[in-house]
Amino acid sequence: MPGEKIFNRLKEWGIDNYTVMDKKSIIEMNLGAAILATGGGGDPEIGLLWALRALDEGKTIVMVDPMDIPDDIFVASPHAVGAPIVLTEKPPSYDVINKTIKKLENYIGKQLDAVIPFECGGVNSTVAYAAAGELGIPVIDVDGMNRAFPEIQMTSWAAQGINAAPAASGDERGHVTIVDTINDNILAERIARRAAMSYGGNSWLVSYPMTGKQVKDASILNSQTIAWELGKAVLRARSKHLDPVEEMLNSLKNTRNVNGKKVFKGKIVDIVREFGGETTKGFSSGRIIMEGLDDYKGSKAEVDFQNEWLNIRIDGEVKCMPPDLIIIVDSETGEPIRTDIMKYGYRGSVVLIPAHERMRTPKAIELCGPRYFGYDLDYVPVEELNNK
Amino acid sequence: MGLTRRLQNKRVMGLAKEEKDLKDIRIGFDVGGTFTDGVMMRGREVLSKVKSLTTEDVTTGIVNALDVLLKSEKADASEIAMVSLGTTHTTNAIIERKNLNKVGIFRLGAPATTAIPPLTGWPEDLKEAIGGKENMFIVRGGKEYDGRDIVPLDEDAIRDACKKIKGKVDSVAVTGVFSPMIPDQEERAAEIIREELGDIHITLSNHIASISILERENSTILNASVINVMRTAIEALKKATKDRGITAPLFIVQNNGTVMAADYAVNYPIFTVASGPAASVRGAVYLSGVDNGVVVDIGGTSTDVAYIVDGFPRESSITVTIGGVKTNIRCPDLMSIALGGGTMVKTKGNQVIGLGPESVGHNLVRLGKSFGGPIITTHDIGVATDIIDEKLDIFDTDFAPCIDKVKALDKGLVEQAHQKIKETIEVAIDQMKTAAGDTKAIFIGGGAMVVPKKNLQGVSDVVSPSHFEVCGAIGTTIAEIGAYAEGIADLEIEDRDTAIEKVVEKAKDEAEKAGAIRDSVEILDVEEIPFAYMPGKREKIRIKVKGKIF
Repeated sequence: MPGEKIFNRLKEWGIDNYTVMDKKSIIEMNLGAAILATGGGGDPEIGLLWALRALDEGKTIVMVDPMDIPDDIFVASPHAVGAPIVLTEKPPSYDVINKTIKKLENYIGKQLDAVIPFECGGVNSTVAYAAAGELGIPVIDVDGMNRAFPEIQMTSWAAQGINAAPAASGDERGHVTIVDTINDNILAERIARRAAMSYGGNSWLVSYPMTGKQVKDASILNSQTIAWELGKAVLRARSKHLDPVEEMLNSLKNTRNVNGKKVFKGKIVDIVREFGGETTKGFSSGRIIMEGLDDYKGSKAEVDFQNEWLNIRIDGEVKCMPPDLIIIVDSETGEPIRTDIMKYGYRGSVVLIPAHERMRTPKAIELCGPRYFGYDLDYVPVEELNNK
Repeated sequence: MGLTRRLQNKRVMGLAKEEKDLKDIRIGFDVGGTFTDGVMMRGREVLSKVKSLTTEDVTTGIVNALDVLLKSEKADASEIAMVSLGTTHTTNAIIERKNLNKVGIFRLGAPATTAIPPLTGWPEDLKEAIGGKENMFIVRGGKEYDGRDIVPLDEDAIRDACKKIKGKVDSVAVTGVFSPMIPDQEERAAEIIREELGDIHITLSNHIASISILERENSTILNASVINVMRTAIEALKKATKDRGITAPLFIVQNNGTVMAADYAVNYPIFTVASGPAASVRGAVYLSGVDNGVVVDIGGTSTDVAYIVDGFPRESSITVTIGGVKTNIRCPDLMSIALGGGTMVKTKGNQVIGLGPESVGHNLVRLGKSFGGPIITTHDIGVATDIIDEKLDIFDTDFAPCIDKVKALDKGLVEQAHQKIKETIEVAIDQMKTAAGDTKAIFIGGGAMVVPKKNLQGVSDVVSPSHFEVCGAIGTTIAEIGAYAEGIADLEIEDRDTAIEKVVEKAKDEAEKAGAIRDSVEILDVEEIPFAYMPGKREKIRIKVKGKIF
């Protein structure tokens, strides 16, 4: 019987509330994750097709609530590290994650009981689902950001002192690099990135091995449900001709109890790309300028990006800084506008969302706040920047 | 995914030639859903034009149009220097799943890429029409972005696969990981396939599209599937022209509105799938002399808006779906809105409550107010506001036989509807603009005569060229060849100019193969796309060129 192994395990853990993901759920979740990726996260197509293929092959993908899992189970997070363009041209082998997980399991001497998604992104959310399906273990409804960020230490896990290492970085030929740094997640990031480059620009990293207890204490809880509900809301808005932006905000209010805010609607009139930024800093970086439309006519917004949207100034005033979320979506369809495919003339609505509180601790701000990204700014929460 | 920097100052290779008038007689055809348009041109002068019904086989409609043009006796068959054709042969074949080749599918990429095999996401009937999964193989091979092999090409696996598909396929598609940068594995695979299967048509993905393997592979397989369709069409037309004493070469319009020699086009039928709208844009440019701005093509039920940059339609950056399959074929960036001459104005009392999307279409002459019918349409508002005050060639009847009915409409209602139509056009134009500031707008199409064109917001000039109804056919006769090439450079090792030069030469080679005079080839665009998240200074260079036929 398909999925027997998973269901036995859930029975063992005493879990009878779980979600079996079907194609529709994966598509909805993928859209929500791509929106929460704040302009980054790569092309959702590959992640989607990979997870859908696992379902096509009769694999079972089951998601469980983090609060239901035993404290002593052992989990880790599979995800891509490297250049999105390489992934677009060189999709993964179907077994690369399993093989890499096996190597990490051998190194640590323990088998994974479940996987945890790394971030919300078109590729890195669904990868965990595909891996869970392939391995016959559940995926836990959490992640380490509830958004996307470019480096592996920018997680709520790292902010709570959990190590990304030991981690295994694999490629499709079966090469594996074990990254076993000691309490130094930034060094782990550097080594993992070098390994990715050496393989050919992309790698599959299995990182943040941790216990069930740590998952509960340090993750963004129910991050997958948040993304899923968001995706459903936007698709619902499309089919019922509702305002997708409003539906997005309502959805996040329901799932996270946060008040996001639409702060701008406009058209991209200028894109300044910082040539060579990725060689010096490891990012695609630059700035866009948007000219206001409708209610925002006469206003101007400038948005900086380093793969993800980072900082927005409206008429010269800073309105949002990392780790708070800047989401730009097509005003009509709610489709996210990504930094890698945006063009002059795109029309979008800008929505600001407070980051999860686990991404706002002093340690988290140190790891992914404005100063880490090179801004001479102290972090001010988005609510305070927009309370006028 | 990388940053894009366009060079602001385009470097013109060779001599920048003055656009010389094309003195020779050219004949062009544009096949549409309903009509096949044809023109005979000398320079910018339209000697003769025809609208003939499109036939199911397409070819007959073209030949009918050709005969009308020749019967006009404006020129002798021997004076004709060029025959060109924008056609829907391949698009129709793919959409209808008719007469498609059985395709042998090779992907060079294992052990990578196996998570998403070829034909993933294809409609079942189309998969079946090209022979299905049995002829599909993922063999070990492929390249890394930096030129290394992922693994060496598994030549034996290719030979074994060929033995399995021998006699079952009549066309082959080969797609290798990173082949747009480093094509040698694809070329080696083609050699082996030829050794095993003899003289079979092979499409290599590096000739078809750019980075993004799944979409490129789809494009490549689709191309391989319509080889026979294109070959048959071209042979039939060559015969038809020859039979009529025309010795001029035949050219086929491609998706950016330039043309390619018919013998070249046989290998790249997929480059013609979006040629129709592109030819219209090029025709509009040619007739108006405006080469930067928007083209607004207004039909009976919808309006296509395209943006022209240096005389060419801007390319779309999103994936293009053909027959249910996602591709990354380069196509014009078009926005379609539901506004045409027959679009219905919805009213409640004397209030306008909506515009479209429904249209009375060709029933305008029965249903429109101006013709005594019950429905208020864009056409009627045009009549009521005196935008149109003369008969159009495209209508057999007068533009408003029942003008009294229109004049009796409430003034406030007419004004509201007028504003609504105007705003709809303004927003569409604004959405297609790439920069702030006013732009020129060229209005073409049958509906262009009835929509507001004065004081449009964001528009500096409105141009309404004559012969707009055969714009597409005229666009096919411009006699410019388009081509492009891509390469990858490591700027830590290579000099940037040298690297660009190398790709320029490649693009010129392609232009020459497609029928251009090499010395006439000029660069349209240089694009450099660095690889994100990569140490070092690697980038993709993409060059677009055009060249002249005479």
